[in-house]
Amino acid sequence: MKLYEFEGANLLEKYQIPVPKRQLITSLKDKILISFPFVLKAQVLSSDRKKAGGILFVNKKSDFNQAIKKLLNKEISGEKVTKILIEEKIKGIAEYYISFSFSGIVKAPVLSLSVKGGSGIKDAFVYPIDMILGVEPFFIRQALSRSGFLSKDINPLSDIIFNLWKLFKEEKVILAEINPLLKTNDGIFFACDAKIDYGKRRAVENMNGDIAIIASGGGASLINMDALLLAGGRPANYAEYSGNPKAELVEKITKEVLSKPGIKACWVVGGTASFTDIYETMKGFTEGLKKISPQPKFPFVIRRDGPRAKEAQKFLSDFSKKEGYDFFIYGFETPMVETAKIVVELAYGKKLKNK
Amino acid sequence: MSILIDKNTKVLIQGITGVEGSRACREMLLYGTKVLAGVRPGAGGEFVESVPVYDTVEEALKYHPQINASLIIVPAKNVKDAALEAIFAKIPLINILTEYVPPIDSSVIMAWAKKYKTRIVGCSSIGIISPSKSKIGSIGSAEIRHIFKKGPIGIISKSGGMTAELAVVLGKHGLGQSTVVGIGADTICGSDFVDILKLFEKDTETKATVIFGEVGGVSEELVAEYVKNKKIKKPIVALIGGKFTHILPSGTVLGHAGAIVSHGKGGYDSKIKALQKSGVTLANTPEEIPLLLKKILKIKTITK
Repeated sequence: MKLYEFEGANLLEKYQIPVPKRQLITSLKDKILISFPFVLKAQVLSSDRKKAGGILFVNKKSDFNQAIKKLLNKEISGEKVTKILIEEKIKGIAEYYISFSFSGIVKAPVLSLSVKGGSGIKDAFVYPIDMILGVEPFFIRQALSRSGFLSKDINPLSDIIFNLWKLFKEEKVILAEINPLLKTNDGIFFACDAKIDYGKRRAVENMNGDIAIIASGGGASLINMDALLLAGGRPANYAEYSGNPKAELVEKITKEVLSKPGIKACWVVGGTASFTDIYETMKGFTEGLKKISPQPKFPFVIRRDGPRAKEAQKFLSDFSKKEGYDFFIYGFETPMVETAKIVVELAYGKKLKNK
Repeated sequence: MSILIDKNTKVLIQGITGVEGSRACREMLLYGTKVLAGVRPGAGGEFVESVPVYDTVEEALKYHPQINASLIIVPAKNVKDAALEAIFAKIPLINILTEYVPPIDSSVIMAWAKKYKTRIVGCSSIGIISPSKSKIGSIGSAEIRHIFKKGPIGIISKSGGMTAELAVVLGKHGLGQSTVVGIGADTICGSDFVDILKLFEKDTETKATVIFGEVGGVSEELVAEYVKNKKIKKPIVALIGGKFTHILPSGTVLGHAGAIVSHGKGGYDSKIKALQKSGVTLANTPEEIPLLLKKILKIKTITK
């Protein structure tokens, strides 16, 4: 879960990192409290914002309305702009890049620094952190000095970086990035954009297709999504649960993925589970299903195996007969990726698949 | 031979009184694993499945000095503490099952483990199994206990669920396993593919290794580097999940904490390209894996 820029700025402020004066607006009616000139920044999570025209400079009042109209409801990488951040324009004489993130190779957090802000992490120097010691100010000064920062910038920057480290550690985020960190003529620094990522996932990721997916197992769900695409299927979503969840969680996911309009089939799929109670999770699935109205007439392909799978299969089969659903039920004898082809055929009919 | 665990592995379970801890204990005993003791602060003197429980790791080791592995199944917020306790007690192998451990905590664990030369497998590991010898963790539990069969194939998987699925698929072709290791798919992992591949390289029982990888991180790219530089010579068949992720925005987190969509390094194409170049054999589906293995190992078709 990434934070929007305005949320990130609030968090930086909480950790005493200087950010420009700013205001969030959602419509033209909002009263503007920042004085001209300022910057308008569309609040989207895409990293292509600048290229897509999501940042506009407004020098005078007469340009303001038009700029807002240009940004509001604009689509940037599939995301609609509903919030705009108005930020005082800071005149910078230098732009720097600072971030904390994790490296799986050194199995530790890393500090990345660059005297060329804007260009991002690719050109940065990377310093692994010894977690037995943690981050001490000398480590930051050393890193700044090695990365070619000016000596008079070293003290103020090391304070900012130390605060960013506190944020990274205490908020338990996987990325805390300031890019650019602007330096003004007076030698004052401002964090002009921030990317903060908690690394959390959403239960359901929406996609634009028409086959609803309720997958189990982190790894198996990826293999199955790949198989679905290969078979010509168009996923409506990515959703996954694993471990041994309560029926309520599966019910919630089922409701969410099936309430989307235009679904042509639903695929409930997973590998051979080690400790997922198949009966319990399938009960949750049917509970979610019962709450969808009108009752879905499209086919359901269910491939599950593992603890209590036999009971679950009988329960599902009885349920579909009694309630009038179109269920196709499979166990481990049918390879899970095989059922991708089955659900695609049922969703679109064979002709479409052979195209 | 096998790697990491065998008949001489003597296990401590930290978190033995919990629901998952006691279940893993029962399953391990059923499999024949020697579980000597458990730890749960405040529950010293109790028994779980007739295994004695102690308040501290130190105390457990005092009465059971033969312990040479610890399984950690405690709540995520307590994992760092439990792991450090085991590391400082000099237990050489620690398998961490708990999911959602903050990577900042994992980094502290890995730093101390490196200093003390402790091998960590996990976090988010389903466990380790050397078929018909021993197992640690939830891997191969209950109805699927017998799908893991002794044989020449090593398996390393980021996904717990896929360990069972792969064993089923290999089993259909009569291919058993030397050791199956669930390494987890966290951003910070105690053991990555290369760490375990190095062990299989030295294991006389293992003839080839199957790895299950997925988008996120660069541990698959690291495998490619090692194979290219001939540091790993035994054949590898790899199945990588997440081809579809090109249609998702970068940064999206999928099933596992470390399965983060990327369109550059760490992404699906980057992994496939690197592995292909290095000479690792790539499978498109689980079912292709045994066929590729048989071709590589020149095994005549035995299909069950």
